[in-house]
Amino acid sequence: MNEAMVLQRDAVVIGGGPAGLAAAIRLREKGIESVLVLERERTAGGILRQCIHDGFGLTRFGESLSGPEYAERFVSRAAELGIEVRTDCTVLHVSGEHTVTAVCPAGLFRVRAKAVVLAMGCRERTRGALAIPGSRPAGIYTAGVAQSYINLQNVMVGREVVILGSGDIGLIMARRLTLEGAHVVGVFEVQPYPSGLARNIQQCLNDYDIPLYLSHTVVDVHGRGRVTGVTVAECDAAFRPIAGTEREYPCDTLVLSVGLIPENELSLGAGVELDPRTKGALVDENCQTGIPGIFAAGNVLHVHDLVDFVSLEAEALAEAAASYIRDGALAPCPLAVETDGSIGHVIPQRVSGTKSFTLWLRVRKPLPGCRICVRQNGRLLAQKSLPKALPAEMIQLRISVEELDQEHSVEVTTE
Amino acid sequence: MKQYDVIVIGGGVVGSAVARELTRYRLRIAVLEKESDVCTQTSGRNTGMLHGGFLYKTGSLKAECCVEGNAEFDTVARELDVPFRRTGKLIVGFTPEHRERLERFKARGEANGVKGLEIIDRARMNEIDPSAGGNFAMYCPSSGILDPFQYTIALAENAVKNGAEYHLYTEVTGAETAPGGHILHTSRGEYAARWVINCAGLNSAKISAMLGIPGHTLRGFKGQYFVLDKKAGAFAKIPVYPAPNANNTFDTHATPTVDGNVLVGPDSEVTEDFADYETTQRSMDGLIESGSRMFSHMKREYIIRSFAGIRPKRIDPETGEVLDFALECRPDVPGVINLVGIESPGLTSALPLARRVAAMLAARETLAPNPDFDPVRRGIKRFSEQSAEEQERMIAQDPNYGEIVCRCECVTQAEILQAIHNPLGVHTVNGIKCRTRASMGRCQGGYCETRITALLRSELGEEITQVELGPSGSQMFTGPVREGGNAE
Amino acid sequence: MSMEIVNKTFTCIVCPRGCTVTAACRGDEITAVTGNTCAKGEAYVRQELTAPQRTIATSVRVTGGQAPLCSVRTAQPVPKARIFDVIRAIHSVTLQAPVQQGEVVLENVLGLSSNVIATKDVDAIK
Repeated sequence: MNEAMVLQRDAVVIGGGPAGLAAAIRLREKGIESVLVLERERTAGGILRQCIHDGFGLTRFGESLSGPEYAERFVSRAAELGIEVRTDCTVLHVSGEHTVTAVCPAGLFRVRAKAVVLAMGCRERTRGALAIPGSRPAGIYTAGVAQSYINLQNVMVGREVVILGSGDIGLIMARRLTLEGAHVVGVFEVQPYPSGLARNIQQCLNDYDIPLYLSHTVVDVHGRGRVTGVTVAECDAAFRPIAGTEREYPCDTLVLSVGLIPENELSLGAGVELDPRTKGALVDENCQTGIPGIFAAGNVLHVHDLVDFVSLEAEALAEAAASYIRDGALAPCPLAVETDGSIGHVIPQRVSGTKSFTLWLRVRKPLPGCRICVRQNGRLLAQKSLPKALPAEMIQLRISVEELDQEHSVEVTTE
Repeated sequence: MKQYDVIVIGGGVVGSAVARELTRYRLRIAVLEKESDVCTQTSGRNTGMLHGGFLYKTGSLKAECCVEGNAEFDTVARELDVPFRRTGKLIVGFTPEHRERLERFKARGEANGVKGLEIIDRARMNEIDPSAGGNFAMYCPSSGILDPFQYTIALAENAVKNGAEYHLYTEVTGAETAPGGHILHTSRGEYAARWVINCAGLNSAKISAMLGIPGHTLRGFKGQYFVLDKKAGAFAKIPVYPAPNANNTFDTHATPTVDGNVLVGPDSEVTEDFADYETTQRSMDGLIESGSRMFSHMKREYIIRSFAGIRPKRIDPETGEVLDFALECRPDVPGVINLVGIESPGLTSALPLARRVAAMLAARETLAPNPDFDPVRRGIKRFSEQSAEEQERMIAQDPNYGEIVCRCECVTQAEILQAIHNPLGVHTVNGIKCRTRASMGRCQGGYCETRITALLRSELGEEITQVELGPSGSQMFTGPVREGGNAE
Repeated sequence: MSMEIVNKTFTCIVCPRGCTVTAACRGDEITAVTGNTCAKGEAYVRQELTAPQRTIATSVRVTGGQAPLCSVRTAQPVPKARIFDVIRAIHSVTLQAPVQQGEVVLENVLGLSSNVIATKDVDAIK
């Protein structure tokens, strides 16, 4: 392919889900004319297309919308602004020099852009990755795949369901399956506390008398053709099954909601460095990765709980990316953001100290009544008191430029 | 009742090699396979090795067939379009006892006709693969790695192209002699043939008895494996095995696959149940431990899947000694060629065994050559392996190449459609997987499975409840969520 | 005779915070509500104690459309005790494409003062 066939754009956005669309829209609103969004599905909207439950948009729009309705707000706005969104396009490669190679039914094409926005979302952790022993019959589904079959394809996955993992997707599917006539035998969670939001425990499990078993996990799967049952055991504090506590649960379906992994294969291909704690890119306060001009937002950066915050994050990215496109560079961010052992992860991981930024973080374990403190050189920049801090709920703090110096790393701790 | 010259029982690598070789002659051939596809049992549950041949007793059928099969495999792989790399293999040791064993196997290999065996030192090992453990090693340059699914499927497709019939879901339940041959009772009716060739693998002793040759004893040795992500594969260049045990077997090893993954395993334990492929916590813990010793990049986060296989070892029931392949045509049981206990090196030995079967047939009747026999089979062309120019050409000819269905392995809709319309008529999700690599990546079908099942339904007109994963009774769905209209 | 105060605890489901809200009840009377971060939490608990209600999201069959289903939800909450009745009523509906996001799929379902609305567009097959 010769140079003449490489498209040139100000910005290429990889992924037409909530992060990608919000970034594209804000880029256009900031006057960046040529923005191209590449989306591999037939229609834009990302994972929201299959999240038909409500609860989206409470912060953003003051309404409780379903996933498709939330997505449509952004899809229409993008259309209104005349942003080019190419669907049915799968990106095969992103280079560190900002060349994106993609394939679609019309052929292969390349785009070189001043800025590249990574918004590929995440994938689900699998049974294979957990190495759950037993047979490999039909009837084992990750929660998102079950959701896609039921909500998009009109295909019912099973009748007697065991759910492993109390993350929000598993809880939502417990309710969804019940409303479609399946019997959810129980939700089993290896940790001693739920992974998902308390409201979902209430409205997805308690409302339907679906039992939740904490400190339990599936230790065996039975059935040679189709699942016939699972063996569940209690776990100790180190998540190891306790011998002698095994119980059999007949079922025909095992749904797994055991974690989301940011989908960063393209990022790795470009040479972007990842943070092993988030499995997403190491970024600065501009959502810029270690490669200048390559940015990341949404679930590909760190797994979010609320799409409203995905939109905010992507918009902040776009503000910075717009400056990058115009000025050719952004202020260097040499200051590391460091955490103590109580914090699971923090975004961004580097700052400049020259502008205000939003800190996003999760605690590693549930902490009743704690205070998140942000300091530089022992000096308190910001703090947030919480009656309870849960790993399931991302915490944000706004750090104001007035408080920041440009010399010291930023320390985030809990007290 | 369907009448054939030859019926092959079992569509694994041995049965399919036999069928393919026999299509060189004018014979009406049927392969009866009890599963939904070929290569679902032992043929599809192994390390994918093309063995060198130094392990086996000199003069044994295992040794002879292995060395023969090894030598010809570059040609075979080219003819049948099978992914194959002659990587060589390092068998490493740490102690003087290991060294002594390696010297013995080198001598045995040489007696068997294996070429190029060397005992090498650490410096030479570092040239070949610096990440291999050990103080010294035996280097076997003729060993290689291949895709056992593509190989078995290729043999079967070539057999079909040359006129053989495959009958899937057809389990032999009984046999009786009849004038001019045998009648086989199956789950799908009766079949008659002059010759019956037993290639039933794990069931070969049972079938052997049905055909009038009792007295073979098989013992099942289950082996479990981990599959590691291609990221681990970047560190594994060549199979590295520990020095063999006193009983001529290998402990857990880490082997790169021809597609770039790594297989850790297999371990070994006796199983009475020849269909027990369940993986166990104890085994998996053991694999992690011993795997880490052989392969420094054995990290939990690289594990994408685990599976099990069962070795059908023919044994002496008195002593428990593992015996050679049985390949026999007994004068007192005419019309039957019996293959029992074809375990490792079964993949390597498949075509050599098949030629010996053909020779046994030819010794007893005149075989007319098939003038239309074509040894060449082309598999599904992989979009991901082509140059950008070629990819452009492919998309221009068929826009289905422009739709990526499996993003982890970069498999296009065109390839999935070709797999769905495969020459054997296989219609399971696992069948698509083995023919295209779709679902074999790190997300294990998280993205592509919904698309593959939708394509199976639309291309083959299957009802929702008819979509099968692969094994018997593996319906994936219970029906539509909402009835009404045509639930498409 | 004065009745005892019984504390009833709820997880508020109005927003993702999921505050733990406690209502101090003396018989049918709510004497105090604590633990909520906003007024909606108090309103939720009062509602929960008198007439619990829920919004429902599900899907209906579409014929002649580019998708076999259209996702729908109740525009207003319905009584929690009637969830499965409402579900049955919604599931008996089949729509003919095209369907527009926001259109009323079932008006005033079961007389419970809530419309059921489509939450996505489904275009007709050309």
